[in-house]
Amino acid sequence: MSFLPAPLEPVRPALLTRVAPVTRLVVGIAWLGVAVIVAGPAVPFGLAVAALAALVLLSGLPLARVPTRLAPLGLAALGLGLLTVLVDPANGDPVARVALALGPLRVTDAALSAGLTIALRLAVIALVSLLVFATSDPTRLADSLVQQWRVPYRFAYGTLAALRIVPLLAADWTAIGTVRRLRGIEPRGVRGRVGAFGNELMVLLVGAIRRAERMALAMDARGFDGDQPRGVFRPIALGRLDAAVLVGGLAVVIAAVAAGRG
Amino acid sequence: MIGPSGSGKSTLARALAGLVPHELPGSWCGSLRVGDLDIASTPARVVSGQTGIVFQEPESQLVMPRVEDEVAFGLENRGWERPAMRARVPGALELVGLAGFEARATAALSGGEQQRLAIADVLAPMPGLLILDEPTANLDPPGMDGVFSRLASIAAARTRTLVIVEHRLDAALPLADLVLLLNAGGRQLAFGLPGEVGRAHAEELARLGSWVPRAWAGWTADDLPGPGAGMVQPGESRHEPELAQPVEGHAVLIADCVTVRYPRAAEGVERVALSAVSLVLHAGERVALVGPNGSGKSTLLFALAGLRRPSGGTVRVAVGGRLPDLDPARLPGRMLARVLGLVFQNPELGFVASTCAGEVAASLPVQGRLPDPADQQVVRALRDFGLEALADEDPFRLSEGEQRRLGIAAASVIGPSILLLDEPTFALDRRGAEAVVGLLDWLRTDGQAQLVATHDPRLIAVCDRVVALDQGRAIFDGSAAAFLADPPFRPAEPWRR
Repeated sequence: MSFLPAPLEPVRPALLTRVAPVTRLVVGIAWLGVAVIVAGPAVPFGLAVAALAALVLLSGLPLARVPTRLAPLGLAALGLGLLTVLVDPANGDPVARVALALGPLRVTDAALSAGLTIALRLAVIALVSLLVFATSDPTRLADSLVQQWRVPYRFAYGTLAALRIVPLLAADWTAIGTVRRLRGIEPRGVRGRVGAFGNELMVLLVGAIRRAERMALAMDARGFDGDQPRGVFRPIALGRLDAAVLVGGLAVVIAAVAAGRG
Repeated sequence: MIGPSGSGKSTLARALAGLVPHELPGSWCGSLRVGDLDIASTPARVVSGQTGIVFQEPESQLVMPRVEDEVAFGLENRGWERPAMRARVPGALELVGLAGFEARATAALSGGEQQRLAIADVLAPMPGLLILDEPTANLDPPGMDGVFSRLASIAAARTRTLVIVEHRLDAALPLADLVLLLNAGGRQLAFGLPGEVGRAHAEELARLGSWVPRAWAGWTADDLPGPGAGMVQPGESRHEPELAQPVEGHAVLIADCVTVRYPRAAEGVERVALSAVSLVLHAGERVALVGPNGSGKSTLLFALAGLRRPSGGTVRVAVGGRLPDLDPARLPGRMLARVLGLVFQNPELGFVASTCAGEVAASLPVQGRLPDPADQQVVRALRDFGLEALADEDPFRLSEGEQRRLGIAAASVIGPSILLLDEPTFALDRRGAEAVVGLLDWLRTDGQAQLVATHDPRLIAVCDRVVALDQGRAIFDGSAAAFLADPPFRPAEPWRR
């Protein structure tokens, strides 16, 4: 029984699946940083368009499944954008230009721009995280972090092992609620419910810690103790393709900023 | 290595792997040498180059998402060169019968395949000593079969030493050249040839509460005695008089053509977990639900308990001695709890209180009473289940057998007319299993119907009826004797007595 959504994975070879995960990470961080820092909706708009184009042309992801996957973040972007438009303090400024007036409701140009910026920034975050993380499996990301960035392998592969436990915890969580229901345990009132939730969380935590301890023991028994040079089974090399993606990705940022100014 | 629960088998196994005293510290005396290494003074990392250990639970020893990466993990840790790893990984998979599985996802393997993968993992660096700590405890009979046949061929190659801790002795004993027998205090009782140790100590082993291999004793499942001494007074009714009693022998649960389809899974295909399964439970009857892992046993338990609404078919339960005419999925919580109890394989998931008494008392509100740990009924249940000395103990600190008994005690206080149990004797030694069966016998004297999902042939032997599932279909429904005489599955450990 799986209660977690199936992972979104590339279904065909594409440019982004062939470059090292750290390359995508660098470009992704640059895009996100610029989209969040630069004021106004123009730059995040340009980057969102570019990210969408990369998703369609370069990611190899099954496009039919992307909308459902992005729906929660998309709704959040819309909601947050709309909220910003409605409550932005600029709406109270009597001299500001009014874009829309509906009875007592008064929306200024500044508020409209602020709301649009927020929504577009969230869109960039959603699209870029897909481009960076969904285009290769976590193993390759861990490999790349260890090989290219010298991230300690105990941390990288330890995290990978922890990820394996997540679906098991999801199953545990469902079972915990089920047992309580079948025992007729029905917490009353807010305090009762909060207490019961805390207790369920505690049970989940105890189980998670036990699992983690057993896993750590099994890993140490296989020589995973961090003070010897480690072999590399899946080498990841940086090549011309990585350089091209890096240059291209940074060029997009510069173009977006330039277009935003002009 | 043979011995009852708590005899230190796992501790010794971990010491051989260098995990005790380095990763799991404790006081240490005497000397232990593995090959030319002195365990106490050698770092675990060095020991781990010479030994490999496989644990009970496959899911908490596999690290990597893909099969070949998983096998390579231990080689990478030991600094192997890439060409050597590339050459070794397929060989290690071949040894455990997983040739060609390189690109598969570890999470998608069956329990038996995962456990064989774990064995390939530790075989890959070619250790001189392979230690297996209850490697088949979590597996169904086909999975166990696969592991033991692979271990047999590894043992037959005579290239490395195997140390196996197992309570499924009938399968493990034929592999053994030597047997080490430990008692409950962790002391060595005997070390020698299996036949000699068996002749001299089989009786003592049974008395200690350990399972005894068939080759050693004329022991059969009929030996499973009633309740442990002093735990339960036979004939004493445990129900409160005002509770309606189901009529002895009448149907209390009717499942008719229950079909369960899981919605789109990862592959985008609908999976049928149960296909038109029909089943009747009568008051006072104990029915075994058997079948390989993934055959739909848990799904059926969930559907019968009203926790998963079937995509087709109906489930009806009897309430208060009437005919079975109510859908459990529509019953309000407390009413449902009075009719149906479900005891999970892992009792920890159900624990709600910080003491055992509180745990049992948490069931009282179902009967409209306050959850008072000093309530007479709580005290009695703890006494009946042999837990009175542990009343103020934290449930999480109990042994596995004690936790299982506490789980059943908490369910029994409600006195549901139908009790569903998932592997109630799982991983228990003989004493623990007998205690559980004794309690189930006793709960049944008041007409409780019991449905027990299990792989354990000893437990099947003390059921009235067996329903066997295979790939979501009921392929057998008949007496336990008929099932055990001609089981529809090919089991590793004889179902046949």
